[in-house]
Amino acid sequence: MINLIQLLTTGVSVGVIYGLIAVGFVLIYKSSQIFNFAQGEMVMVGAFLMWTFLVAVGTPLWLGIILVFGIVGLAGYGLERFPLRPMIGQPILATIMITMGIAVFLRGLAILLWASNIDIKFPSFVTERMINVFGIPLSNVMLGSFFFALILVVALSLFFAYSRTGLHMRAAAENHQLAQSMGIRVTRAIAQSWAIAAIVSTAGGFLLGYMRGIDFGLSEIGLIAMAAALVGGLESFKGAMLGGVIIGVAETLTGCYIGHGLKEVVPFVIMVFVLIYKPYGLFGLERIERV
Amino acid sequence: MRRVSGVFDTSYFQDMMVFRTKYHLVGIGTLIAAFLMLPIFAGDFWLAFISTTAVTVIALQGLNILSGYCGQISIGQTAFMAVGAYSSAILAGRFGLPFWLCLPCAGLGAGLVGMLFGLTSLRIKGYYLALATIAAQFIIIYMIKTPFPEITGGAIALHVPDVTVGGFIFETETHFYYLIIAFTILMTFFAKSLMRSHFGRAFIAIRDNDIAAEAMGMNLYRYKLLAFFIGCFYAGVAGSLWAAYARVISPDDFTLMNSIWQMGMLIVGGLGSTLGPFFGALFIKLLNELCVVAGPFITSIIPQIGAQLSASLVEMSFGITIVLFLVYEPRGIAHRWEILKESYRMWPFSY
Repeated sequence: MINLIQLLTTGVSVGVIYGLIAVGFVLIYKSSQIFNFAQGEMVMVGAFLMWTFLVAVGTPLWLGIILVFGIVGLAGYGLERFPLRPMIGQPILATIMITMGIAVFLRGLAILLWASNIDIKFPSFVTERMINVFGIPLSNVMLGSFFFALILVVALSLFFAYSRTGLHMRAAAENHQLAQSMGIRVTRAIAQSWAIAAIVSTAGGFLLGYMRGIDFGLSEIGLIAMAAALVGGLESFKGAMLGGVIIGVAETLTGCYIGHGLKEVVPFVIMVFVLIYKPYGLFGLERIERV
Repeated sequence: MRRVSGVFDTSYFQDMMVFRTKYHLVGIGTLIAAFLMLPIFAGDFWLAFISTTAVTVIALQGLNILSGYCGQISIGQTAFMAVGAYSSAILAGRFGLPFWLCLPCAGLGAGLVGMLFGLTSLRIKGYYLALATIAAQFIIIYMIKTPFPEITGGAIALHVPDVTVGGFIFETETHFYYLIIAFTILMTFFAKSLMRSHFGRAFIAIRDNDIAAEAMGMNLYRYKLLAFFIGCFYAGVAGSLWAAYARVISPDDFTLMNSIWQMGMLIVGGLGSTLGPFFGALFIKLLNELCVVAGPFITSIIPQIGAQLSASLVEMSFGITIVLFLVYEPRGIAHRWEILKESYRMWPFSY
């Protein structure tokens, strides 16, 4: 029983990070109707960058976080300017392949810069120990990353609900033309959403890298996060979080009870079933098409 | 379709001809003859290069039918290739079937598996379908890797028995070269013919607007599933040829990255054109070879970069190529080729 509860808590804390990355994914989809297949590579590059600053350069944690978030934010802002702005109004396959092109490029860049650093880890900022919460032993690292991810998501939700920039971005997501006629700069809103998504995925990469080490496998998280976003419905932040938790728990449970090989495909099996039975996810908008 | 000056079409049949003038026939004949003569001049390296490229071209023709003509985005083509490769290898290895029987069986198997995943296309499209095919990619590779390792060889490798047709054993690079080239010509001919028939027109109608196509009385389910079947059949044939050629297959030959590469090749070559797969596969493969050669060269000049440069260059150049093509020439090299031909015909009044 205690084993099951531990598994569930592990699943939830991993799932919250998946959810966090899925939120970045939803953000881009909402503002520009682009599926960002490069999300996983952003997670990976973010984690490697963070490692470079914290370990190779040796900056303190707070400065490292500010610097890396600034760099990836600028990079995300720049990405909108070059390959993505010409993609407005292009067919879906073009937008898919352009993000995949970015993904392959980022992977190549990561190979060039970090391939020689095998088996690297973040320095431990806190000593890991078990805390009893209502009689359940929980690792403080896990709890910490759980709350960090949760705070980020809540902050993002508040940002979208109340801040002026957030409202602009939501308006741009609703309808580009209408937003433009209300005096909102749609391109800037999209650029901002890419910047925020890059920062959010870097945060996710940092947390995941802290928990399981930094390697090129981190890029697979992008596809898992995509499954999470799909389960929740592509238009909803709370759906993305919930989807992340569902996927995380399902993954840990199958990993323990059925087999390690199946653990890697469980997100995709869930994804196929969601696609067949409820393509618009739990909280997504159902679109009605007319000719 | 513009003709050379002095050639006029007087019937619909003439208008639809693939080889309208005798220069077309001479040109294609020369090209095929050149490919058949190549083993006399070229070394094994270039024969191997062309063989692997030609296998990719076959898979790309299938992907082109599925994604380029019918508009059903599939990012799992190499998984269907894996189905073909493994079923061909298992049929030959465990049941001792001859190669000429394995190959169509591999195509059929891959086509049926493709149809199974294509079922999702009845409810979803666009991004969602792309995600479903990515899921197919992972699920198929998992099925190969984990549940039946004694049959599929698991995650490590599966040895493929020698290919024999009527007592003749395919051994050398040249033998495989002829085998693969023959199939490439056959499959390309089949693809071209199919896309000129009413199937091709139906596919294009579905690509352009599937609801409108349905309203005009097309059976969407039938045509979408057919597109998946044909596209994956091609993948299966390509996989079977690849298994025969490579002798050893492993799940690592058929990853999601490979599928993305194939889609990228198709984009570079040009979607919705029979020539596109040739241009795309050749362009990207040549670019790869260039990077593999250039990497060590640059490292020898600036040793600080490290030995991973060529691996990194391969990926980065591919990413940049896709992005540049999508932004500046979304219709691919095939479109440029058409423009070139046009301006050649209209010379000196080309614009």
